[in-house]
Amino acid sequence: MRIIAALAMRNSPPESPVSSIRERLPAPDTRSPVGQLFESLRPDLLRFAQWLARDRALAEDIVQESLLRAWRSREALKDLSAARAWLLTIVRREHARLYERKRLELVPLDEVVDSRAGAPLEEPGSELFTLRQAIMRLPIEYREPLLLQVLGGFSTEEIARELALTPTAVLTRLFRARNKLRVMCGSPAVPDAPDGEVLS
Amino acid sequence: MNCGEARLLLGAEPHASTAQLEEHLKGCPSCQRLREEMRALDADIRRALEQPPLIPAVRAARPSTAWRPWALAASVLLALTAVLAVWVVRPSATLAHEVVAHVQAEPDSWLAKEHVGAGDISGALKGAGVALNVSSDRIMYAQSCWFRGHYVPHLVVQTDKGPATVLLLRHEHVPMRRSFHEDGMSGVLVPLGSGSIAVLTRGSGDAGAIAHQMQQQVHWLPQAS
Repeated sequence: MRIIAALAMRNSPPESPVSSIRERLPAPDTRSPVGQLFESLRPDLLRFAQWLARDRALAEDIVQESLLRAWRSREALKDLSAARAWLLTIVRREHARLYERKRLELVPLDEVVDSRAGAPLEEPGSELFTLRQAIMRLPIEYREPLLLQVLGGFSTEEIARELALTPTAVLTRLFRARNKLRVMCGSPAVPDAPDGEVLS
Repeated sequence: MNCGEARLLLGAEPHASTAQLEEHLKGCPSCQRLREEMRALDADIRRALEQPPLIPAVRAARPSTAWRPWALAASVLLALTAVLAVWVVRPSATLAHEVVAHVQAEPDSWLAKEHVGAGDISGALKGAGVALNVSSDRIMYAQSCWFRGHYVPHLVVQTDKGPATVLLLRHEHVPMRRSFHEDGMSGVLVPLGSGSIAVLTRGSGDAGAIAHQMQQQVHWLPQAS
């Protein structure tokens, strides 16, 4: 079973904006095994943050701050094999923290779609291209649990703990996320699941 | 396990396998088919997420390092102005703020160029206990959104002065009409029976006029919970 260490930051006092945090946190020592491990996971964290934030520069900021926080709290990481999951939760919380503070600069999705320079992964109109656009357009309450499940490998119970939801609420959101993607990709909607979403 | 429960599980966890689910699937071809479709979709989602999304490399509004001290000074000035503005305007602090935050979380909702189908509108209203008397060709976006413990219809209505976001808040009572301004958006909360309607516009949109129209066109259905 994956161990997700409880982060001390959850109960810590209100923190300053990102720029000042960066100045007062020590930089990770990339020569140490833990520092090297963190760095090796940076591409995964960045991809996760980009899908969350939909903004490359902001995602880079989030990951940088997350790694600084992780380095400061590295004693809480008891099992190095759980480092990826642990870091992903830090990235998610850092994104949520910035999101709540409304530091996000919104990215017009038309601009997103048109900005394909350097990443010609598939042609517009292809199924994969349509699906990637659809994921980008998912509201955050659906995109976030889906990313935790698919990219993070978290179980429904783990997502529920991370998002402070009931497992039933997470199931409902995951169902609706995939259902919305189906519809946005041209398939008929599946009849909605029984309403059981209750915020805990 | 019934079909509803099986659909929920298959949509949420396409690779789930429990004794109850397998037993249900044995006698339910439609759920069996749904499992195959959801597993195929899941494989596509995994492929789609293998690469970062296609997003701009640089935010246009990002200030250069040299300008940051000036930007900071300007921010302080803006913050002071905002405090004064808040004092003058006195927005409905919590509900209005959450409405704005919710709309900001769905930025694509403003961008729709084509009206949504009747099925989507019906889906957004489903379960919310709302009847809506608006021409469907004016509705450019319709979602059922989780807001303050309930699913509420989130609509974007096209008007002569641009799109207007409308949230139909059956469970949020406001005692009187309140206008607010936040993050470049103008909004108004108006009471409707035991609930309320929130309207947000950008630019020159007249949220008050739209809210007034909506008060005539929205009805809470008695059978909704």
